[in-house]
Amino acid sequence: MTMNVKFLNPFVEAAHDVLSAEAGITPARGTVSLQQSALTADEVTVLISLVGQVQGVVLYGMSVEMGLLLVSRMMSQTFEAFDNLAQSGVAELGNVITGRASARLAKAGYVSTISPPTLIQGKELRISTFDFSRIVVPLRCDTGEITVHLALRENHSSEPDTSYVQINPRQVSPSAAIGVAVP
Amino acid sequence: MAKILIVDDAEFLRLRISKMLIGGGHEVIEADNGAKGVSIYKSAKPDVVLMDITMPEMDGLAALKEIRAADPNARVVMLTALGQESVVIEAVKNGAKDFVVKPFQPERVLAAIDKALA
Repeated sequence: MTMNVKFLNPFVEAAHDVLSAEAGITPARGTVSLQQSALTADEVTVLISLVGQVQGVVLYGMSVEMGLLLVSRMMSQTFEAFDNLAQSGVAELGNVITGRASARLAKAGYVSTISPPTLIQGKELRISTFDFSRIVVPLRCDTGEITVHLALRENHSSEPDTSYVQINPRQVSPSAAIGVAVP
Repeated sequence: MAKILIVDDAEFLRLRISKMLIGGGHEVIEADNGAKGVSIYKSAKPDVVLMDITMPEMDGLAALKEIRAADPNARVVMLTALGQESVVIEAVKNGAKDFVVKPFQPERVLAAIDKALA
């Protein structure tokens, strides 16, 4: 199994830029791995799809505690509950990182459109990206960790590829609580 | 002090920009999609509109066109992510006064409002 990492750096650099500007956090990249099995979610997952010359899905996983810390820093006020406002903030953070990464990808010749963010709550939910293997990179901060999952591939066709990754509800454990919010 | 309308579907961003603007001495009103933004613009007549691009019901470009059709002197600043350059160009062609790229720097947002008001 080989790892196509050309999509990795734009996301790592974008995450670094955005977390630094928005939350005053300078993340350090952990060990990159390639995973094919279904993703076992952290407490909070932001999911954004890309469609175009690069397509698939990007997921950002973190604990509720880390999400609260991020939005508290972004808003310069303490958030104690992971309510709609906090969820909106974490989703927006994923949106801005992905938008910035997609601009970098476009400069490298891979033009894509990103979807609005979806926020999934529920630890240990299983999310399948099917035949898209995932490049997984932890971003370590002094305050916690954000795990970025890139299930992306090139699309050489000029026509939209309808096989891009979607969450299959059957892949989500029925015993786990799940809340989905589209800010 | 100016009356500013923020049109963005992300509640967090509206609140964040709102705090920034109120701190700068401005009055703020909000809408969470383009259609509501057009409706509120017509009734509240704000001095400047901060308009997101990607929104449900009516996107920012369509809302900009409707607002400018209703008021050719409307001052609209687009809120954009990197990667939306083609939409920004289209928005400027349709009368947008300026654009601000996310993540926002407070001074950049306030400068764009000052420029629109000048």
